[in-house]
Amino acid sequence: MQEFTNETLDTSSLPKYQEVQLNSLSRKYWNVILINIFLFLLFVAIAIAALLIFSTDARSYTLAILAIYGVLALLLVLLYRTSLKKRGFAVREKDILYTSGIIALSTTIVPFSRIQHIALDEGLFSRIYGLGELRIFTAGGSSGSLHIPGIEIDNAKSIKELLMKQINEAD
Amino acid sequence: MIAAETNKEYDFSAPRKQSASGIIIMFANSFQHIVRALALPLILIIVKSKDSGNLALILIVFLSLLTIVLALYAYFSYQKFTFFLDEKKQEFIINSGIFSKTSLTIQLNKIQQVNINQNLLQQVVGVYSLEIDTAGSEKKEASIKAIDHATATILKQKLLSRDLAENETTNIHADDQLIKSAPPLLKLSTNTLLKIGITTNYGASLLLLTGFIFGAFQLFKDYTDALDIEREQFTKMFSQGITIFSLCFLVAFSFIIILATNIIRTFIKYFNFKIIKQKGALAVSSGLFTHKNVLLTPNKVQLSAYSQNYFQKKFDLLNMKIKQASFDSADKEDSKKSDIEIPGCNEFERDEVLKMILSNIPAKGAELAPNYRFIFLQTMIWIVFPVSVFALLSIYALPQLKSYLLMVIPYIIVVGIMLYFEFKRHRLYVDEQFIIKRSGIWDVEQEIIEPHKIQAITAKQYFWHKAADVGHLIIHTAAGVIHFKYGNYTHIKNLVNYWTYKIEVSKKDWM
Repeated sequence: MQEFTNETLDTSSLPKYQEVQLNSLSRKYWNVILINIFLFLLFVAIAIAALLIFSTDARSYTLAILAIYGVLALLLVLLYRTSLKKRGFAVREKDILYTSGIIALSTTIVPFSRIQHIALDEGLFSRIYGLGELRIFTAGGSSGSLHIPGIEIDNAKSIKELLMKQINEAD
Repeated sequence: MIAAETNKEYDFSAPRKQSASGIIIMFANSFQHIVRALALPLILIIVKSKDSGNLALILIVFLSLLTIVLALYAYFSYQKFTFFLDEKKQEFIINSGIFSKTSLTIQLNKIQQVNINQNLLQQVVGVYSLEIDTAGSEKKEASIKAIDHATATILKQKLLSRDLAENETTNIHADDQLIKSAPPLLKLSTNTLLKIGITTNYGASLLLLTGFIFGAFQLFKDYTDALDIEREQFTKMFSQGITIFSLCFLVAFSFIIILATNIIRTFIKYFNFKIIKQKGALAVSSGLFTHKNVLLTPNKVQLSAYSQNYFQKKFDLLNMKIKQASFDSADKEDSKKSDIEIPGCNEFERDEVLKMILSNIPAKGAELAPNYRFIFLQTMIWIVFPVSVFALLSIYALPQLKSYLLMVIPYIIVVGIMLYFEFKRHRLYVDEQFIIKRSGIWDVEQEIIEPHKIQAITAKQYFWHKAADVGHLIIHTAAGVIHFKYGNYTHIKNLVNYWTYKIEVSKKDWM
């Protein structure tokens, strides 16, 4: 017990992750999200149209269906908008951290010495805007790995380079 | 050794493609996927439509179009799939993807295993696949689908060139001869096995038994159906026969059966269970019919846990589980094999084993208790919600349920008590060397990890808990996740900072 009271004093002088200035994701990533939402909504719209054409019963609910569709579309855009604003990452001297979430804000920290391997993804739409997604894997399985989308590709490449160098030094 | 003939043929420093026949493999793979996805709807369409002449034509056109598209896709996939070895940086890099590109980088010293395999199609085409595995619980990290044997062998050698000797020692299978020689650290007597059988694993045996009973009933029903026997007689006999007395008898009987199956299962699994200390490792062996041997190396252990229920406490029995980092992670069965369960030991033996693994007996440090909100949400989910649904249903929709409304009271009491215990036992103990999480309702489990075994840490907070300063802590290890809920968030944040600091300062590797 005594040991711990010592530690609590110590922790106050340690670097605090909650005070780290986070890099927000690239603004262009919003466009990528919009394209994805648009495609999803388009798909749903086609399904609804097919339903209305083939089923005469459904036609009497046309207004209600359209209203629900509108609300869904608006909600999607709003949710993604807020989620994008909340997301951010930071590379510190010895670890990388990523914050995300809408209703639950969570921050995950992965120390460099625990990284197993790294992948850099460039999705089709991300590539149009020159963005990439960094995926950082640890031995902690899928829950213990980081997926950071919407980083400018040059930046992502240099972060990856830096991380790989750090892993080497850590060993 | 083949490595001697490293000429330009086997130079991996420049990006290179797979064997050209890889196109065929890729095509076959994607074709298989598509067919599997489309088979059902296609069959439906064929069955449903009537004019078969037109349909056959459409199908042929469709299928040939599909083949062309897939062939093109396979060709471009092949073109874009490149891999190379950066010897200076000691990295292996795989680039792939036509529309969305992926570049995967693996540090050579993180590679645990490289496997060269060949499936039927690969055999026909005459190529091999090469799979790279790093530590941890995910599936195969990287694979090359088509590569000729000579290249594969040399690449494998290069990928594993750094420490083949070390890999040799990590063989998880214990040496049989050594086990026989040394006196065991722990040995389960018949007596202990009996106690274990009586006190644990009711759930599993109950499941087994119900399965068996249902099977028996089904058999009985089939039998009477088949022989055209008047089933009414049987049912009459049953309904008349169920008196209080026979019910008691039935309950007692099934209880005895459960106990018996429990004891038998325990004996089959843990007969002659022994733990032997040997050269800084623990060798564990057990089993009545199949003899199972596992070697436990302390620095490979990621998480140790022990649990005890009310009866076990009376018998001074503990159940221990020790989880190691697994290398054969792609195979679920195999990764389970390196986990060790000690079904029964007393406190002294537990401390001996823990001392062996963790170098000293973990002390419980400062206690962290969850906020009362923990029980609040659980009450909502398990009591308020189901009870109100039941009440509403019985009042508005199904009046015949009304007579059962009184049953709600014992339900609330039982579940309430369970939730209370769950809340009371959800604790985190932290000291400089160990993190211990206690949890459970009936079986109270203590999970112990050392801070340097942590892979990643997550702190999480719902926005409505901000004012109350309540949040969650998730510790990711190579043997699973430790979740502490509804703690004081300021405290959690301090702990996260403290542990990050400890991991980053510590020279200790996680395995």
